[in-house]
Amino acid sequence: MTALLSVRDLTVTYRTSQGEVPAVRGVSFELEPGGSLGLAGESGCGKSTMANAILRLLPAGTTTTGEVLLGEEDVLTMKPGRLRAVRWTGAAIVFQGALHALNPVQRVIDQITEPIILHKTEPDEKAAEKRAVDLLGQVGIPANRAEDYPHQLSGGQRQRVLIAMALACDPDLLIADEPTTALDLMVQAQVLAVLEKLRAERQLSMIFITHDLSVLTYVCDRLAVMYAGRIVERGPSDQVFERPTHPYTRALAAAFPTIGDRESRMNPSGLKGDPPDPAALPAGCPFHPRCPDAIDRCRDAEPPLLPSGPAQEAACILARP
Amino acid sequence: MTVVVGDRKRQRWVEVAREFWQARSGRIGVIILAFFVILAIAAPLVAGTDYINPVKARAAGLPQWGTPAEVGPLGTDHFRRSVWDQFVYGSRISLLVGLAASFLTILIGSAVGIVSGFVGGKLDSALMRITEWFLVIPFLPLAIVLAAVLGRSLLNMIFVIGITSWPSTARLVRSQVLTLKQRTFVDRSRSLGGSGLHVVRQHILPNVSGLILANTTLAVPISILTETTLSFLGLGNPQTASWGKTLEEAFVNGAIARNAWWYYLPAGVGIVLVVLAFTLIGQTLEQIVDPRLKDRR
Amino acid sequence: MNARFAIGKVAGALVTLGFVLVFNFFLFRVVQTDPVATLFRGRNIPQERLDQLRAEFGLDKPLGGQFVDYLQQTAQLNLGLSYQSRQPVWNEIKSKIPATVALVGTSAVLSAVIGTALGVAAAWRRGTKTDYSITTSTMLFYSMPDFWLGMLLLVGGAIITGIFPVGGIIDAGSSRAGIGRLLDQAHHIALPALTLTLAYLGEYAIVARSSLLETMKEDYLVVARAKGLRDIKVRNRHALPNALLPVVTLSAINFGFVLSGAIAVETVFSWPGLGKATSDAIRGPDLPMLQGLFLLFSAAVILFNLIADLVYGRLDPRVRT
Repeated sequence: MTALLSVRDLTVTYRTSQGEVPAVRGVSFELEPGGSLGLAGESGCGKSTMANAILRLLPAGTTTTGEVLLGEEDVLTMKPGRLRAVRWTGAAIVFQGALHALNPVQRVIDQITEPIILHKTEPDEKAAEKRAVDLLGQVGIPANRAEDYPHQLSGGQRQRVLIAMALACDPDLLIADEPTTALDLMVQAQVLAVLEKLRAERQLSMIFITHDLSVLTYVCDRLAVMYAGRIVERGPSDQVFERPTHPYTRALAAAFPTIGDRESRMNPSGLKGDPPDPAALPAGCPFHPRCPDAIDRCRDAEPPLLPSGPAQEAACILARP
Repeated sequence: MTVVVGDRKRQRWVEVAREFWQARSGRIGVIILAFFVILAIAAPLVAGTDYINPVKARAAGLPQWGTPAEVGPLGTDHFRRSVWDQFVYGSRISLLVGLAASFLTILIGSAVGIVSGFVGGKLDSALMRITEWFLVIPFLPLAIVLAAVLGRSLLNMIFVIGITSWPSTARLVRSQVLTLKQRTFVDRSRSLGGSGLHVVRQHILPNVSGLILANTTLAVPISILTETTLSFLGLGNPQTASWGKTLEEAFVNGAIARNAWWYYLPAGVGIVLVVLAFTLIGQTLEQIVDPRLKDRR
Repeated sequence: MNARFAIGKVAGALVTLGFVLVFNFFLFRVVQTDPVATLFRGRNIPQERLDQLRAEFGLDKPLGGQFVDYLQQTAQLNLGLSYQSRQPVWNEIKSKIPATVALVGTSAVLSAVIGTALGVAAAWRRGTKTDYSITTSTMLFYSMPDFWLGMLLLVGGAIITGIFPVGGIIDAGSSRAGIGRLLDQAHHIALPALTLTLAYLGEYAIVARSSLLETMKEDYLVVARAKGLRDIKVRNRHALPNALLPVVTLSAINFGFVLSGAIAVETVFSWPGLGKATSDAIRGPDLPMLQGLFLLFSAAVILFNLIADLVYGRLDPRVRT
């Protein structure tokens, strides 16, 4: 079965006054139709950059190399016209920070019908509006709120509007970038439920990005953990969460309480230190300065992804099955 | 305790000064301003006081409308007076009124802003009402009306400009005070038993002073331009020469038709340069004091 | 739009106007202790006649009564007699309104449109030579006294090159009518309008530029691109409507400045409007005229502020709900 999305050796470099800064350093993964991949890591590890890179949404001044195959076509080498056509119809993004992702002076329904009308996925405007109202209903927003402006909705409602908006043109792939981060636990659960429901109903492929590992196990089959611009562990989500083999994953898993598990809330273990500066990465394994299990050999070279369990890989020389 | 705080404050100002000098706009502004300040102070050394006395000028045999080629360095006017003298002494008035009026503006504006923001409640609403009113009313007609009623003098001019310009400062300072009030260190100070005045002096003032300083330097251009306009319209003190008055006399006595460019150009150029200088200084200060503005460049 | 919002704004405007009336009354009562004597100074009039006139003018009443008289008279547009012409102030003012409306109207519109366009252009090409030259030249014009700029343009445009007339609104002794007259007036308005426009477009350029720079950082622009919109559409449909909101607010404030600027500029160009009337009234001092003109200027600015507030409410949904 051909993969829906195939990312090969994706590298993103920013050009700054201090020189070149690598935000993503050779990321590769595949996603089958209907599959869901969770992408976890602290802020600054490059996950949002990678998400934006898939649809070439990075600002000017960035260099992207590698391959991003959507079906058979490479997004990175598409002509501008084809790229614009593929955006939102092939893959759509649910951005984080819903208040800023919505145009404050445009009604919610118009923001959903905009891509429909642009890509002509409905025959006319009326049909587009009907579809928009349908989508809002599916994410739990009543029809009488469709004409509202973003500031009139609550944070959770705005986030759900973003989801409805992302589904407007029935994309094959949905990339959700931190969709629940700014929300409180109750609303978080609601939004996750909506996403799971939609995924099941539409056979939607999904990439779910967050820094909260526990959230990912609900929605995703597979999990990948990023650190300093690279994937450092991946595998089936339950397995990676319950049996993390990379020290960073272990720390991440312990740092966040599981939804519904009171005991884990009482004992979060924060990671000490700060994420590394992408412009000045430590020698060898970039995690070794903060790693509780680090040994001398860790300073020598950056370990590649090696098998660390059934269908599980980790970029750590100490992680062996 | 006080020694440490004092040192830190001085260090901060040294840092500000250094950052200021590094910015090209700041440097240019200061250099231009320095030139005119020196000119104004050294007026008796570089120019004579005969500028206001046509009788003396006639007695000295100066021609009417003398070009700079005939009578250096800036020629003479309709009354045979030296334009250069008027220019040099005029700089004094423009700078003096500009600074004094701005000082008054900032004084009233900051006082109102701090009190209004800090005390809050009904006093705040009342003061803001008054401020709003001043902001809507067109300031020049107001200044004209006040000047016409109060009479022509330098003091009145300073008062009129100060009185019509304080509202925008008040509003700016008030919003800054409101932001500061929400910060915990103010609450902590109060819970420790600090009286209102103490809190204002120790915590509010130091954090607002940077903003006030930047605002002052930006208020000077407005004061100078207002003074120039009021003098041009005939509301200045007839005894003292200011750049605005020079322009008025030039215009009224037909310097335009006669092409007597040496009469109406220098005063205008002087105003533009001084205003530019203060604007550059003010903008540079503003960028240093409010780091958010740095991205705007 | 919310009716409560509109009513609130109108009420506010009326209150402000009320304060202007009070201020006007008391300011001039402070100076004009005996208007009758001032009005008829230089004329040989017996004392009883003066007393009789005082009673006629209601000057023997207490201050409160005089204020009520003042309000009634103002409502009936009885603004007193001009010292200089002995004609009713309102008649003098009325005849000069059209000339100033033409000049200030043209200049206010031109400065807004050109200034904003320059600001947008500067922001879009931020950091380039275009940006730099626009920002420095607008700052330069802004630093000039408006009437001095007028004098320079007068010299350059009329005295030296003879392209434009030296002053007035029509050629003296001209008996043209209809289109010919209109063209003549347009010919005369060119230089003063150019002066006011150049002097006051600076603020628009600065505000438009910085507002657009702020808006360009917003996330919803990335979302618009992600939907597949072309860059131009993103700018025109999403960036500009948000970025130009502060310009609307500015137009209210700037109108006051342009109107005030007309006072000195009309004088330089002998433009027979309210500005020149003010300048002439200062020479007296013709206090009734100044009082009437101040009232009119204030009312005009208050009205314009009200219109701008209501327009802004229409454009920015966050304000009116």
